[in-house]
Amino acid sequence: MLNHSPFITVINIIRNTTGYFLFFSSLLLSGCASVSPWQRGILAKPEMQLSTQPVQALFYEHAYGSREAASGSNAGSGGGCGCY
Amino acid sequence: MQAVEVAVAVIKKKPPHSALHALTFAALALPGIMAAPVFADNDNVDFQYGHYQEGKRNLFSVKNDKNPIEVESLFGKATFSLTDRVNFTTHYSQDTWSGATPISTAPLVAQSNRAYLADTASGQTITVGASPYLNTQLLVTKKFVPLQQNDVGKVLGKAPQLVHILSMASPETRKQGDFNLGYEWDEAAIDIGGGLSLENDYESRFGNVMSRWDFNQKRTTVNLGASYTNSDTSAILDHDASPYITKDYFATQIIQSGAMKILQGNRQDWSTTVSLTQIINKYSLFETSLGYTQSTGYLENPYKVMTIMFVDPEQTAKRLTGNLHAFLEQRPEQRNQFSMGGKFVQHIDFAEAAVHLEYRFFQDDWGIAAHTFGAEWVQPLTSTWVITPKIRYYSQDAADFYQPYLLSKQAYSKTQYDPTTGKFSLIPYDPSKLPNNFSSDQRLSAYGAISGGLSLSKRFSKAISLEAGIEYYQHAGSLKIGGGGEGHYSDFDSFMANAALKVNLANLDSRAFNLHPEHHPHPHQAHHHAHAPAGVMFDHLLTDAGSWMIGYRFMHDEQGGAMLQGTHTSSEQTIVKTGCGTGSEGCRLTPTFMDMTMHMVDIMYAPLPGLTLMLMPQFMDMAMNLRNLTDAPPVPVGGHVHSGTGHATGGIGDTGMYALIKAIDLTHHHLHVGLGLSAPTGDVDIQLRRAHQQDEGYIHYGMQLGSGTWDFKPSLTYTGQHEQWSWGAQFSSTQRLEEKGSTGYALGDLWQTTAWGSYQLSPSWSSSIRGVHTNQQAITGQFTALPGVVNGVLLDDVNQRSGPMDFAKNYGGRFWDLGFGVNYTVTDGDFTGNTLGVEWLQPLSTDVNGVQLDRQGALSATWGLAF
Repeated sequence: MLNHSPFITVINIIRNTTGYFLFFSSLLLSGCASVSPWQRGILAKPEMQLSTQPVQALFYEHAYGSREAASGSNAGSGGGCGCY
Repeated sequence: MQAVEVAVAVIKKKPPHSALHALTFAALALPGIMAAPVFADNDNVDFQYGHYQEGKRNLFSVKNDKNPIEVESLFGKATFSLTDRVNFTTHYSQDTWSGATPISTAPLVAQSNRAYLADTASGQTITVGASPYLNTQLLVTKKFVPLQQNDVGKVLGKAPQLVHILSMASPETRKQGDFNLGYEWDEAAIDIGGGLSLENDYESRFGNVMSRWDFNQKRTTVNLGASYTNSDTSAILDHDASPYITKDYFATQIIQSGAMKILQGNRQDWSTTVSLTQIINKYSLFETSLGYTQSTGYLENPYKVMTIMFVDPEQTAKRLTGNLHAFLEQRPEQRNQFSMGGKFVQHIDFAEAAVHLEYRFFQDDWGIAAHTFGAEWVQPLTSTWVITPKIRYYSQDAADFYQPYLLSKQAYSKTQYDPTTGKFSLIPYDPSKLPNNFSSDQRLSAYGAISGGLSLSKRFSKAISLEAGIEYYQHAGSLKIGGGGEGHYSDFDSFMANAALKVNLANLDSRAFNLHPEHHPHPHQAHHHAHAPAGVMFDHLLTDAGSWMIGYRFMHDEQGGAMLQGTHTSSEQTIVKTGCGTGSEGCRLTPTFMDMTMHMVDIMYAPLPGLTLMLMPQFMDMAMNLRNLTDAPPVPVGGHVHSGTGHATGGIGDTGMYALIKAIDLTHHHLHVGLGLSAPTGDVDIQLRRAHQQDEGYIHYGMQLGSGTWDFKPSLTYTGQHEQWSWGAQFSSTQRLEEKGSTGYALGDLWQTTAWGSYQLSPSWSSSIRGVHTNQQAITGQFTALPGVVNGVLLDDVNQRSGPMDFAKNYGGRFWDLGFGVNYTVTDGDFTGNTLGVEWLQPLSTDVNGVQLDRQGALSATWGLAF
């Protein structure tokens, strides 16, 4: 049962996790070398893209989303009810 | 193109090594790939087919005879640059699913899935499957632990084991269309989009906006996004289960429509995301993201029910009786969801590969915390093959209000004697003693899931690549991080597979990259003759050896209006008497409409001049509705009434393989022969679900997805042109090569003759008019007998014989149609060679075999690109 307001919960969640997010982000950022555009040959390879198979990923995300609580929030991109 | 200008400027300042030139050039676009790519390089068309198949659930005490959930998905996407800075993306997707899925959970001893028994002709009673029972009784201890009893009621011991209650869903289809429009500045981009997702029982409208900012020469990219979704539920409650489900809480949301109860609800979702992508060094990059979603309104799954065990505390016996009742689940009206993720990509020098690591944390105020870990190893094998093994692990806590089943220490209802009035009255349960929220939806339970898979991609040219992947997924309570997950009764596994065709438009007409540089650098066939109307297939060959054409065909056909007998409108009496069998087999139902939609991918290749090979996979979906006939005969003894509501099917259709061979090729006149085979890849054994305690057999012939047989498809095509005029004629046929398919029947042979004339209005536009005559024979054979149970009796054959659509004689006929078409060919600019066509076929005369629904017309649309 929920015994406090959702708003407080959200604030708590954000408070608990934002610290980690900022900490790791700054850690990673501080370790970043200056990579000039002409040094990005490796980074431009297809296997180095953040999503190598975006169309395929959509299908698998949709399948996870119909069976898992955390992936189910496909707000803004459709996806339907998934009520099965 | 602005981004290219920037790239060139940088390159001029400090020329890179020539070997790295191309990669460097592409690298400048790198951060943009995550959000809204605007390079013409990204102009592409993708098609994908996906299949999701769950394993059978264990029901322990009875055999599970139901096919598990299965989903067939089709996905198409096209991205075009409208100007240097503006791009447009459109998606279309559809899913068709069917099968058995848990609707609730109960103690195993309550026997909520009971053996589905039937009497055979010889008088034996046999088990034919499992059937759900929502309202049952059981014995519990004083501490409410369920007790196992033997056949004569003797208590054997405690039995805490649980089981899912399964229910079956007939096929249903969801369709979604959406678009995105993007604008690119030098170091920023904005992208707005919206779309619509439609199902019988759920309709969703959504809009979104994404923006991107690049910093530090694009070493750092920040994405900000927001979206809004508004969804309406109007769920038809299962007519078999509904009487056994307590719906009081939602009374104001349930409307009665005919015999159906419809649960209505609305939900809204607001979502925001922010992500940061950073290049760490020459070999690695990472992305972190934060997301927040607020959902409000009707957040329930209308088909999930909670089993509540009512135990009257006033019982005095040593052991108490519990009464199980099913309640529609109740979730909070608000959900706040927060997620945080990180992704890291590292190049692995020694293997020339890349490793992708991903982690995502999710937390909501329903008490669910979830962790997702993913790892992929992207290994290029040669310059064209890439193999990617991947593994994923997911773990979640249960929602605060999740319970496999609920205990309520009160009677569901009891009779009370009022001494003053001398009357007995029924006292119902007190809803205030139930929790506000409860759900036994497995998605809200505590569990873990591990999955692993492999995907392969093969690039055939700069422009065309194929991808295929498989994944095996296992869901188990015991896989949850830290233990304490749901019991093993809820475990299941699934398989997923996909295949995708990707076409990069920017590289298609770029002959410098082509495999056959000896050919002249322009798309060719478009100049040879005007395109035939969109509804005509096999109308042209590719002229040059080694050339390709990729295309997409859409066809939508509608039947509706009056029922015809031959050429005339049929009376209700005629349908009843002649549309079905004789005597007691008279028709009781008749279709009101039937829609069919086909999506075809058209791949053409010319290995030799004068020979073109074609491969044409199809995806199709169908929908129909039925009504009761007036003056219908009574249901025969032992016969059964069809549920009479709408049906839908969808999935892969038959696959065509063709060879087109040039016969005559003069300046103004061309003749070619087509020889083809159609492989029976479409399902012909789709069944209706059991309803009203009756198995219903195979769904109507016209709703099956394929012909069921190998078919021979010859054609002869003549085309000609002179100045602005072009014309053509085609004779084609479909001959069934087998007497019957796997389910006992074959569609009738078909002959079609068509002739058209077309006038070139401008270099780009042409319009056409066409006449078509089609002659198709009736279906031969009939569905093989399908044993099943009707009202507790095992019958040899439960196939439907309740309307004209169930009889082979009511298929085929002789038809005349008139087609009006428009074709558009892009004659200059980046999209030179793209052709688009639309044609409407208007029925002129219809002469059906037997009794059939009238025809309303058909729309064809094509897109093609030769290269």
